Amino acid sequence: MSEPGMVVEGPLAGLEEIKKQYPTERAALMPALHAAQREFGWLSHEALAAVASRLNLPEATVRSTASFYSMFQGKSTGRHAVRICTNVACMVLGAEGLLAVLNGLYGLAPGQTSPDGRFSLEVMECIGACDKGPSMLVNEDLHTDLSAEKIIEVLETYE
Amino acid sequence: MVTLSINGRKVELEAPVTILEAARKNGIDIPTLCHHPALELWGGCRMCLVEVEKMPRLQTACTVRVADGMAVHTETPRVVAARKAILEFFLINHPLECPTCDKAGLCALQDLTVKYGAVAGRFEEGKRVFPEVVDDPVIVRNMKRCIMCTRCVRMCDGVQGASAIGVIDRGAGSHIEPFSGGRYNCEYCGNCLTVCPVGAVMSKLHRYTYRPWQMEKTVKTICSFCGVGCTLRLEVRDESIKRVSAEYGDGVNNGLLCGRGRFGYEYADSPERLKTPLIKRDGRLERATWDEALGYAAERLLEIKKSGGGAAIGGIAGGRTTNEEIYLFQKFLRAGLGTNNIDSIARLGLLPAQKILEGVFGQGAAANLISGIPHSEAVLVVASDPTKLNPVMGLEVRAAARAGRKVITIGHVDGLKRHRTHRLEAKTGPGQETLIMAGLLGELLKVKPLTGENPGLEDAIRQWEKTLPGPDEVEKAAGVAASLISATAADLKEVSTSSIIAGRELASSMDMRTNMLLLAALGYILNSRIFLISEHPNEQGLIEMGCSPDMLPGERPLEVSTFREKYEQAWGAGINPEAGLTLMEMIEQAGASIKALYVLGEDPAFNLPARGRVKEALGRLDFLVVQDIFMTETAAMADVVFPALCWSEKDGTYTNLEKRIQKLKKALVKEGIEDWRILAEIGKRAGLPARYRNVSDIFREIAQVSPIHAGLSFESIEEGGLLWPYKGKPLVYSATPYSAAQSSSVSTAAGGLYGPWAEAAWSGAPQAQNGLKLVLDKPLLHSDTLSTHSGALMDLMGGPEARLCPETGSKLGIADGDAVKVSTEQGHISLKARLESGLPEDALFISNNFRGAGAFELFGYQLEPESKTPVLTAQNLKVERL
Repeated sequence: MSEPGMVVEGPLAGLEEIKKQYPTERAALMPALHAAQREFGWLSHEALAAVASRLNLPEATVRSTASFYSMFQGKSTGRHAVRICTNVACMVLGAEGLLAVLNGLYGLAPGQTSPDGRFSLEVMECIGACDKGPSMLVNEDLHTDLSAEKIIEVLETYE
Repeated sequence: MVTLSINGRKVELEAPVTILEAARKNGIDIPTLCHHPALELWGGCRMCLVEVEKMPRLQTACTVRVADGMAVHTETPRVVAARKAILEFFLINHPLECPTCDKAGLCALQDLTVKYGAVAGRFEEGKRVFPEVVDDPVIVRNMKRCIMCTRCVRMCDGVQGASAIGVIDRGAGSHIEPFSGGRYNCEYCGNCLTVCPVGAVMSKLHRYTYRPWQMEKTVKTICSFCGVGCTLRLEVRDESIKRVSAEYGDGVNNGLLCGRGRFGYEYADSPERLKTPLIKRDGRLERATWDEALGYAAERLLEIKKSGGGAAIGGIAGGRTTNEEIYLFQKFLRAGLGTNNIDSIARLGLLPAQKILEGVFGQGAAANLISGIPHSEAVLVVASDPTKLNPVMGLEVRAAARAGRKVITIGHVDGLKRHRTHRLEAKTGPGQETLIMAGLLGELLKVKPLTGENPGLEDAIRQWEKTLPGPDEVEKAAGVAASLISATAADLKEVSTSSIIAGRELASSMDMRTNMLLLAALGYILNSRIFLISEHPNEQGLIEMGCSPDMLPGERPLEVSTFREKYEQAWGAGINPEAGLTLMEMIEQAGASIKALYVLGEDPAFNLPARGRVKEALGRLDFLVVQDIFMTETAAMADVVFPALCWSEKDGTYTNLEKRIQKLKKALVKEGIEDWRILAEIGKRAGLPARYRNVSDIFREIAQVSPIHAGLSFESIEEGGLLWPYKGKPLVYSATPYSAAQSSSVSTAAGGLYGPWAEAAWSGAPQAQNGLKLVLDKPLLHSDTLSTHSGALMDLMGGPEARLCPETGSKLGIADGDAVKVSTEQGHISLKARLESGLPEDALFISNNFRGAGAFELFGYQLEPESKTPVLTAQNLKVERL
């Protein structure tokens, strides 16, 4: 547990700021997990343990929370996380065709990382952008109205 | 008043409970899976659906509260159809491996399927598959069988407070796991096993060895590990304990257990148990008959009495002996052999601590109900960790924290790290609690007015107030922020009831009197119930039954002649008016004034500090008798060894830390003679008439002679035990006529008690404590060496460890798992280092549980002059990597 006024450096230093914004440490768990994922790319056991220790929360509780949400990655990923929605609206608008494009171009399959380690692909159930489907998230950026051409154009901006 | 109808029957209730509770109170059963009375409500399994008139949908009986005029139907065709459908859903995934599942016969899902009828599953996809996880030494996880009722998670989170498991993943992939995904890293209370309705988490100890219906008997008794006195159910077959369990509602523990209690029973069946009496012939212990051994022991003791007087003989008792045994033991020594050299393991802390508190507040000062802890507005835990020493009492502190009470820890109390409001811990580790308590008392006095209820105590407090260290001084010496001490005091300002828990650590200190008086002062100001941690199941009994050199049974001071005369009359023998030697004094005098020792269920050669010297001293004795269940280090040195029966094999009573007398029940018939019978037989040979047929007769005698036990009988002890103040008369020190004649230790004469208080205050500035320190570790899963005979506990912690924090480790060049040699002026041991973050810096924690590497090989001691309690010392402490 960190004492008030303590300066924390090194990994997850940003958690101290996050903690201040929430009434309890438990309330800060989700933002803390997002921060950890941003920092490490994915949530390893070590990362979860570090978050637990920083927030003085039980490790099992932290893992339980992290494993529930599909936004949190439990295994190592490529440099960029691509999340494509295949729920009804996006599917009707052609999301499945986009999956085929990604497979052909980058060798990406759902749940996998491209051989060059550049992208990982996750198939999502609705990312809340049904009105502009098909849509996808790349890391935390939302891209909508995708087509076979546009998706390549967008992804090529991520190295 | 709420009136409703259930299945057409009129039901009247005082308070609006849930439909489920209302129904069960009235003998109507509603099936449940996820509901458990000890746990937070969940309403997840849907088995308890009932029909409530005027409500369109079926309702979950476990979460919906009754309302006036409600009409509930629990078994309508609609309800039955719904339950059947729910079972069909459960059985989509639950494998039908009942023939090989240990839970069969105790399984709630199985029973419900029988009741509502098997369903032809319509689900075509395969069942979800999880491999069985068997890599944990005691708990097997079979997640195929899990029905996701989350009872185990709610138990672990909401009751045990360990939060070691959680629901991992989601949807059909959900399963329950510890953080590691494999082996548990938990407190091993096993309370998850009690609440699992199916066979998803099971104990490995008895796996595939029996069927529940093959159990011959289930005996409710009291646990043999610590002073909480939990009620256990011993499930017995073939004169062997197959399983230890507890159910909701059982005993002070309300069905909860700790790892020692639940998994530690195997020692009873250890092949190393002593079976026959032994006599030392030509330097070797050889088998003897009972007659030979009893005759020889009595003869030698009488010889020594004749040549050297009774004062040449001493007796030491351990904390797992029963009240009846201890009573006979001290009677035999006092009346049969004429000696008051009687002491016990309670000398190491509980006895002196209690004596001072009782001096201030009267007898029974620390006799409070554990169940009251969560109702306190604040709980102070000082120096000892109840979650390790008295684990089930520790749970009540965690319950208090969950209920929003303030929990304040003073010193290193690891088990409450997620359950405390304030943590007052010295940077330099244990040993600064006196200073922190004094600082807190000073700050409290500034914000909380004294009530005037106890003028004597208040005078002393006011006198002392002037010398108490300010928070700045505490910060300087102990590194506890001054602002934190003030904030804690401010937080306690409005508190009107509280609990304080303290243990041996405070008493085994050269500042023992100061510590206990500070504790008393804090307790007085905060209106506290005080709890003294008791590390053995009958440590309290040792005190009450007169197993000390200056107290007769009933805690009556020996020096008061009227008390003595009463016992002389009852026993038909004179009692020496001179107080005898204390525990360490007897050892120190071994070979000098002490020629013979009788050791009852204790291992002084291992369990006392300065082990080398203790062993040497025992070696100088002319005659040593040991009564024990194992060949302990002391037994190996004895001239006569009597094999004792263990806790599951005898009747008797234990008195827990609340001063609650509870019955121990004989669950197994084993070869051998009950311990009380051995003592009675020797006593008979020493001329003491013994007309006891059973423990009930001994208890009757105790009730006749001991004023606090007056009017009690063994038969009158029911489940739940007898509560202090029993029926008899406790001593109130200030009101008793002998107070003037008292020694300074319990005197209330002007200045007598409180005088030393003022002197004991602050002689000089508080000292910072620097440098590496040795701390006596008390592991959660072990208790003396006894637990090392239990296979499951050894699988969980199989050897000695030197625990230290990673910072200290790197300073000393020691990595986790390194073999290290630790030495002091007393001796050296080799063991494995274990780095654990969260431990205080410069502190080395070593326990005294494992033969060959016990901490008492390293600790020396110094006697605290007043109580003669050995205070641990460790000179020239060195740690090297091997």
